Amino acid sequence: MLNLHSFTQAILHIDGDCFFAACEVAKNPALRGKPVITGAERGIVSSLSYEAKARGVTRAMRLSEVRRICPDAVILPSDYETYSLYSVRMFNIVRRYTPEVEEYSIDECFADLTGLQRPLNMSYEKIAAAIKRDLDSELGITFSVGLAPSKVLAKVASKWQKPSGLTIIPGNQIQVFLKDLAVEKIWGIGPKTSAYLNKLGIKTAYDFACQDEQWVKSKLTKPHQEIWQELRGEAVYVVDNERKSDYKSISKTKTFTPASNKSSYVFSQLSKNIENACIKARRHRLETKKIFIFLKSNDFRYYGLEAKLDCPTAVPTEIIKIAKENFNQIFDEKKAFRATGVILMDLAEAHSPQLDIFGHVARVQRLFKIFASVDGLAQKYGKHTLFTGSSFEAMTARTHQGERGEKSERQSNLFRGETFRRHLSLPFLGEAV
Amino acid sequence: MEHNKNKIISFYQRTGRMPTYAELMGIYGFKSKNSVFKLVKKMAEENFLHKDGQGRLLPGKLFKEIRILGLVEAGFPSAAEEELADTMSLDEYLVKNREATFMLRVKGESMKDAGIMNGDMVLVERNTTPKDGQIVIAEVDGEWTIKYLRSQGKKPYLEPANKKFRPIYPESELKIAAVVKAVVRKY
Repeated sequence: MLNLHSFTQAILHIDGDCFFAACEVAKNPALRGKPVITGAERGIVSSLSYEAKARGVTRAMRLSEVRRICPDAVILPSDYETYSLYSVRMFNIVRRYTPEVEEYSIDECFADLTGLQRPLNMSYEKIAAAIKRDLDSELGITFSVGLAPSKVLAKVASKWQKPSGLTIIPGNQIQVFLKDLAVEKIWGIGPKTSAYLNKLGIKTAYDFACQDEQWVKSKLTKPHQEIWQELRGEAVYVVDNERKSDYKSISKTKTFTPASNKSSYVFSQLSKNIENACIKARRHRLETKKIFIFLKSNDFRYYGLEAKLDCPTAVPTEIIKIAKENFNQIFDEKKAFRATGVILMDLAEAHSPQLDIFGHVARVQRLFKIFASVDGLAQKYGKHTLFTGSSFEAMTARTHQGERGEKSERQSNLFRGETFRRHLSLPFLGEAV
Repeated sequence: MEHNKNKIISFYQRTGRMPTYAELMGIYGFKSKNSVFKLVKKMAEENFLHKDGQGRLLPGKLFKEIRILGLVEAGFPSAAEEELADTMSLDEYLVKNREATFMLRVKGESMKDAGIMNGDMVLVERNTTPKDGQIVIAEVDGEWTIKYLRSQGKKPYLEPANKKFRPIYPESELKIAAVVKAVVRKY
């Protein structure tokens, strides 16, 4: 086994190195070589540079802790707009070579190169190298790239050498890469499964891959059987190149500081999240039938409930009404809350609904038209040009007071003609003297 | 020749078919079919008409010119989509490789004489090999700087477009991040 033809399938996994922190360094050369951290507005580390990692900083660490162990850390507010621009560019560059690109997350994607050697007149290794070269040189940040016969192995490959690695695992060299790889490091194997495998005497990915089919089938469930196949170089998972357009659910949540026990303020935060979720739903022509609303208290506990809607909708006022009816079940003024959120569930494509005898549907349809105009205004003048009264307090208050209220440079340094809400869609590198 | 062709065209328009050789003799007042043959041969060379396998005449580009005239007479209906397909947006005009294009704001007067003023937006492209004489974005002491790229012998240096500023001679390697492709100033 494990001695296949070198590439039955050629799957590429591309991973941005410390993506958010790298985007920040790409903007400001003075940050190169320094411990850079993003997430100032959240109070915890969301991304960190290798220099910060070397100093013992980890993801999700509290910033107070960061300041203690790494006093010279550069702590920046997240600039998601810039990160998203880089992300889209990353996918577009990969699509120059193959249409089959799966946008796995903001800084990660899979690409299927199978069969492209002849049309591109390059070997798989050369294609992978060309993609990496384009990404690194055009975006000015580095990527780690792995090429292998399956997605699970491509993940192993991209992690093999970081940062800025290009690792190729041909079918006949799989064992070299799996030999010393602990099972819990395999993509898709969680702590429980790895503990179970360890009990069965399986410590490394190679041990796992070497088991025979009968053993695997008798001991493990289908998803783990598939990982076993993938580790052996038999591609089971396909690269899903559907652009993320169909959502099973849409969630919007936002943290604010300081925490609040004022009912109207906390509700306005929830209302704002509902509006945002509905904007997204309308953009994708989806409607929800069921919602989940939640509050997060200062001691990081969640209070939430589920509610059903009379008819599917993407109209915020309908959902806000339901939320209002149920809000007091979860709100408690003895507690201070730091975040609210909403999840729109059971999403289905918006279509002309069946009318009911009470005229309720007709009324919602009228509202839908109103919100179509709201979207039109947002197109022209920027998001939240028009919003519901229930969101007023949240819309006008600053999300974060004090240090955490720091705006990213992109927000505070606008070009003439840009508005607070709408910016040019090119990444801004700052000033040049 | 034009006159001869027109006679065939009017025959074709009248009858809906090409004339026979005998009919051509009558049309042109020729005494022999041989003269008709010669004329037909010439017209065939010009693709005005063709001969089929049995030597009968078939229409060639009889009416091409007429058709075009018809179009012109009808005038241009409207700003056709096809005409606009060959125009570009200001965005396309300014940005060639979208993935590699970034923007910066100019600070200071160092490029004043090149028409680049304080506060201007510059669009720059990474991944292009900078050439001598181009305006570039370089990294100097942890800062972006916008200057002309020049070279003295083989050594590159940065030249401002303002006498009040001095050229920058890099101590070691000159780090050029991007080439300036456009300056945008909105009033």
